[in-house]
Amino acid sequence: MAQCVQSVQELIPDSFVPCVAALCSDEAERLTRLNHLSFAELLKPFSRLTSEVHMRDPNNQLHVIKNLKIAVSNIVTQPPQPGAIRKLLNDVVSGSQPAEGLVANVITAGDYDLNISATTPWFESYRETFLQSMPALDHEFLNHYLACMLVASSSEAEPVEQFSKLSQEQHRIQHNSDYSYPKWFIPNTLKYYVLLHDVSAGDEQRAESIYEEMKQKYGTQGCYLLKINSRTSNRASDEQIPDPWSQYLQKNSIQNQESYEDGPCTITSNKNSDNNLLSLDGLDNEVKDGLPNNFRAHPLQLEQSSDPSNSIDGPDHLRSASSLHETKKGNTGIIHGACLTLTDHDRIRQFIQEFTFRGLLPHIEKTIRQLNDQLISRKGLSRSLFSATKKWFSGSKVPEKSINDLKNTSGLLYPPEAPELQIRKMADLCFLVQHYDLAYSCYHTAKKDFLNDQAMLYAAGALEMAAVSAFLQPGAPRPYPAHYMDTAIQTYRDICKNMVLAERCVLLSAELLKSQSKYSEAAALLIRLTSEDSDLRSALLLEQAAHCFINMKSPMVRKYAFHMILAGHRFSKAGQKKHALRCYCQAMQVYKGKGWSLAEDHINFTIGRQSYTLRQLDNAVSAFRHILINESKQSAAQQGAFLREYLYVYKNVSQLSPDGPLPQLPLPYINSSATRVFFGHDRRPADGEKQAATHVSLDQEYDSESSQQWRELEEQVVSVVNKGVIPSNFHPTQYCLNSYSDNSRFPLAVVEEPITVEVAFRNPLKVLLLLTDLSLLWKFHPKDFSGKDNEEVKQLVTSEPEMIGAEVISEFLINGEESKVARLKLFPHHIGELHILGVVYNLGTIQGSMTVDGIGALPGCHTGKYSLSMSVRGKQDLEIQGPRLNNTKEEKTSVKYGPDRRLDPIITEEMPLLETLALAQEVNQR
Amino acid sequence: MAVCIAVIAKENYPLYIRSTPTENELKFHYMVHTSLDVVDEKISAMGKALVDQRELYLGLLYPTEDYKVKFVMVVDSSNTALRDNEIRSMFRKLHNSYTDVMCNPFYNPGDRIQSRAFDNMVTSMMIQVC
Repeated sequence: MAQCVQSVQELIPDSFVPCVAALCSDEAERLTRLNHLSFAELLKPFSRLTSEVHMRDPNNQLHVIKNLKIAVSNIVTQPPQPGAIRKLLNDVVSGSQPAEGLVANVITAGDYDLNISATTPWFESYRETFLQSMPALDHEFLNHYLACMLVASSSEAEPVEQFSKLSQEQHRIQHNSDYSYPKWFIPNTLKYYVLLHDVSAGDEQRAESIYEEMKQKYGTQGCYLLKINSRTSNRASDEQIPDPWSQYLQKNSIQNQESYEDGPCTITSNKNSDNNLLSLDGLDNEVKDGLPNNFRAHPLQLEQSSDPSNSIDGPDHLRSASSLHETKKGNTGIIHGACLTLTDHDRIRQFIQEFTFRGLLPHIEKTIRQLNDQLISRKGLSRSLFSATKKWFSGSKVPEKSINDLKNTSGLLYPPEAPELQIRKMADLCFLVQHYDLAYSCYHTAKKDFLNDQAMLYAAGALEMAAVSAFLQPGAPRPYPAHYMDTAIQTYRDICKNMVLAERCVLLSAELLKSQSKYSEAAALLIRLTSEDSDLRSALLLEQAAHCFINMKSPMVRKYAFHMILAGHRFSKAGQKKHALRCYCQAMQVYKGKGWSLAEDHINFTIGRQSYTLRQLDNAVSAFRHILINESKQSAAQQGAFLREYLYVYKNVSQLSPDGPLPQLPLPYINSSATRVFFGHDRRPADGEKQAATHVSLDQEYDSESSQQWRELEEQVVSVVNKGVIPSNFHPTQYCLNSYSDNSRFPLAVVEEPITVEVAFRNPLKVLLLLTDLSLLWKFHPKDFSGKDNEEVKQLVTSEPEMIGAEVISEFLINGEESKVARLKLFPHHIGELHILGVVYNLGTIQGSMTVDGIGALPGCHTGKYSLSMSVRGKQDLEIQGPRLNNTKEEKTSVKYGPDRRLDPIITEEMPLLETLALAQEVNQR
Repeated sequence: MAVCIAVIAKENYPLYIRSTPTENELKFHYMVHTSLDVVDEKISAMGKALVDQRELYLGLLYPTEDYKVKFVMVVDSSNTALRDNEIRSMFRKLHNSYTDVMCNPFYNPGDRIQSRAFDNMVTSMMIQVC
C-alpha cells in the first residue's frame, strides 16, 4: 500500500465520529444561505475540538479524549443510492490525478530502478468518500445519529413555537414507522436547541430575551445562542478572511451535492447563483422560495427519483450530474462565509465546543452508564439460565431456523431494541469516544453472543470492530487479532454477500496491516477482494496491492508490475483512462528492455491506445513506434494489426498539424551504408544512346580488380595529356559510389545527367509494406553565374523542377522480412551543390479485404493496382557514417569516423563525355 | 501436463519459453515473469538458513553462484494427478535436456535456446495430457 498522509491512528478515529443531525427552520437556513452554506456546512470546518475532553467511564475512571471530531449533517430520510455512490466515487477518483511536478521516489530493487510516486491521493480520497458515504445499517450503530440540533432564527415570528414544531418534526421522523431512515442511536435522542441570530440584521435585545426564555424551558445545558453574520456580504471585498470551507467543500462532494442538489429548486438556484455571483443582491431569493432544508432526499440520491418534474430540464440535469471537477469549478467562484467575520468563526468554534462539552458528551456518558447498568442486570441472570430460557421461548427473538438457513440469511435477526444489541451499542459508543479498552471488551462479548445465536452479520460486525479497537488500544496489551478481520471479511462477502461492508473491512484491515509492515498479508487481502462487480474498486485495490509488493523488505518488482498492469486494465474498464495510462507506464519501467518482448509489446500497445484516446498523440505514436521497431516476435496478423493502428494514429497526428515538418517513419529499415550512387545515364547499349566510358553500372557487383585497372588507365591518359606528369590534384573519376569507394571528397556530377541513388530497404515485419510516391529528398545551393552564391537555401523543393528534377516511384512493394533496393533518380538542371537528405514516401499496408474507403481523404494516394487501407506521408533520413579513421595516433586511440560525401555531389557544368563503343571491348580483349 | 515451460537466464530474460498453443501466450509470459519474484524470495531465504535440503532443484541451482538459470513450469492446478514426484521428474528431465544444450559447443550461453532436441523434449512434457 502506498504511503498515506494520515497515519492509521488518525485515520480510524476520523472515519468513525459521533454523528449529529441538524434540523433547521426555513428562516435559520436562510441565514446560513447568505454565506452559500447550509447549517451543517457552516459548522464543518470547526467540527474538530481543539482541546482535550474528559469524561467518566462507567467505572468512574477519568477518560481523556483527544482530537475529538463530530459530524453534523442535515437530516435526510433516504438511504444513499448505490448508483449515486458509485458515480460519486468514480468522480472523486478521476478528479484526483497525480500532481504534475510530483517528484517520484526512486526505488532500486536488484537491477531495477523505478520511479514510483509514494503516495496515491486518489486512493485516499476514494477511501474517505467511501467511508463517509456508508449508509447507516441496522447491525451497527457507529453512524447513527446520537443527537439532533434544532435550529431556529431569532428573526422568526414565534421562535419558541418554531422550536417545538422542529422538536415534533424530529420526533415524527424518529418514531414514525414511515421513516426507516435515518437511523437513531437510542430512542430518546438528545435535542439541542440552537437560536441563530443575525447580528447585522436582527434585534439583539429580542434574541437575548428569546434565549432567556429558551433557557427557562430547555435548561442552560440544552440550548445555545449562536450569533453569526456580523457583516453584510457587500463588504466582502474590503477584508480578506480565510475561507476554511473551500477545502472541505471541494474535498467532500457529498456536501457539495447536498448544497446544490438537495431540492427541486436548488438546481435553478445553482444555475442562477453562478450567474449572480458578482451581483450582490438577490442571492438569497432563489434559495428562499425553495425548501432549503429539504430532508426528503438524501444528498446522494439521484435526482430522477427525488423529483420527477425535474426531468424536463435536461441540460441542467446533466450539469448537476456532471463530474466532480465541474462542480468544483462552479464552487470555486463562490465565496463561502462572506458574511462571517473572524469573531463569527470563533463563535462557531465556541458553539461546537459548548455543544460537545455540555450537550453531547454528558449525553454519551449517561447513555453508556445506562447501557452498562442494563448489561450488568442482564449478566445478573444466570447465563446458562438465560440461554436456556431463550431456547425455550426462542420464538420471540431468534427465529427457529436451521443453521444452514441462518447462514444464508444476511437479513435481520434482532429487532432494533433487542437486548443483544445493547452491548454492541455500548461498544460503539465507547469506540466513538475513543475508549478502546472498554470497546474491545464489549465487542468481544458481543461477538460471542452473536456467534452463539448464529447471527453472522452481527458477529462479523463485532469481529471487525473488535480487531480495530484491539489495535487502537493504548499500550497494545494484546497482539492484533488479524484472524478476526479475516473471518469478518469472509462472512461479509460469502455469507452476507455484502460487498460494501467487506470492502470497508478490507480497507481498514489493509491499513492496519500496513502500519505493522505486514505487506504481504495486506496484499493478499486486497487482491482477494477484487471481483467482477466493481472495476473501480478492483483497480484501486490492485494498485494498492502493487504498492504493497514494492514496499516489502525485499521488494517484489515483478509482482508490482504485474498487479499494476491488472490495475491498469481495471481502470480502463472503469473508464478511468488517465489512471489506466499511469498504471501501464509504471509497469512499463519493469518490463522495458528486459527481453520479455511479448509483454512489452502488449504494454506498449495499450499505452498507445490509451494515449490516443486521451489525445496524447505524441506518446501514442512513440509507443506504437516502439512495437514496430523492435525485432518483433509477434505473429504476422498481430503485426498487421499493430501497423494499422500505428498508421491510423500517425494519420491523426499529421492531420492535426498538416503544415508541420514531415514525420520520421520507422519503417522500413534503411541500410544506409549500402546506399550506392551512380552518376550518368544507365548503360543501355541497345538504344544507341551515348554512353560514358566506364566499367561500372548499378547492376553489377563491385569488382576491385577492374576498378583498379580503370584507375590506372585513367592515370595513363591524364599523364599523356599532361606530358607525362600527373597533376597533384588529380583524382580518378568515380561513376559509382558505394561503401568500398573513396567517399571522402565531394563527387562531381554533370548538369543534365541523371544521378541515380540506390537505397536498400529492409522490412523487419512479417506483413507486406507498400511505399507509394517514393522519391528523394534533397537540398540545393544553386551557384549563380554572377559569382556570388545564392544565399537562399532551397530545401525540399519538389515544386521546383527547373532546378532539379526528381523521379517518383509511384508504388514500391516490400514483402514481409524482405530486403529490396529502390533506384531513385535526380536530374540536375542547374549547377550548384546538391545534398541528398533522405527519402520521402507514403507508408501503407495492404489489407486483405482491399477496402477502398478513406482513400479519398488522403491526398497523393494512388488507387492503382492495390487499394490502400491507410497510409501516412513521412520521410527517413539517409545518414551514412564514413569509414573509421585510423591514421594518426589520436585517431587510433579514439573512435572517429571520417566524412562520407556520397550523397553530396557538386553539380558542374557540362563536360565532354568520352564514349567508347565496341572499340572499348576490343581494347579490353586485346 | 505442463501448460507452459520456461528457461530464464540469470539476468531474468527468457532463454526459452513455450506454452500450449491453444492458450493465450501473453498470459503465460506475464505469469512466468511475475513468478520470478517468488523464486528470488526462495533463493534469498535459502541463503539465510539452510532450510529443507530436500528441495533439490532450488538447491542445485544455488551453488553455481554466477549462473543462476531458472526453470519455471506452469501446470494446470485442476490436474490432481500431478504429484510432487512427477513434477520433480519433469524438472529432472528438463535439467538434463538443458545440460545437453549447454554441452553443445556451438551454443553461446545466454542466447535463446533453439535446439530441436530441447524443443521435442518440451513438447513431450506438454503433450502428455490425456
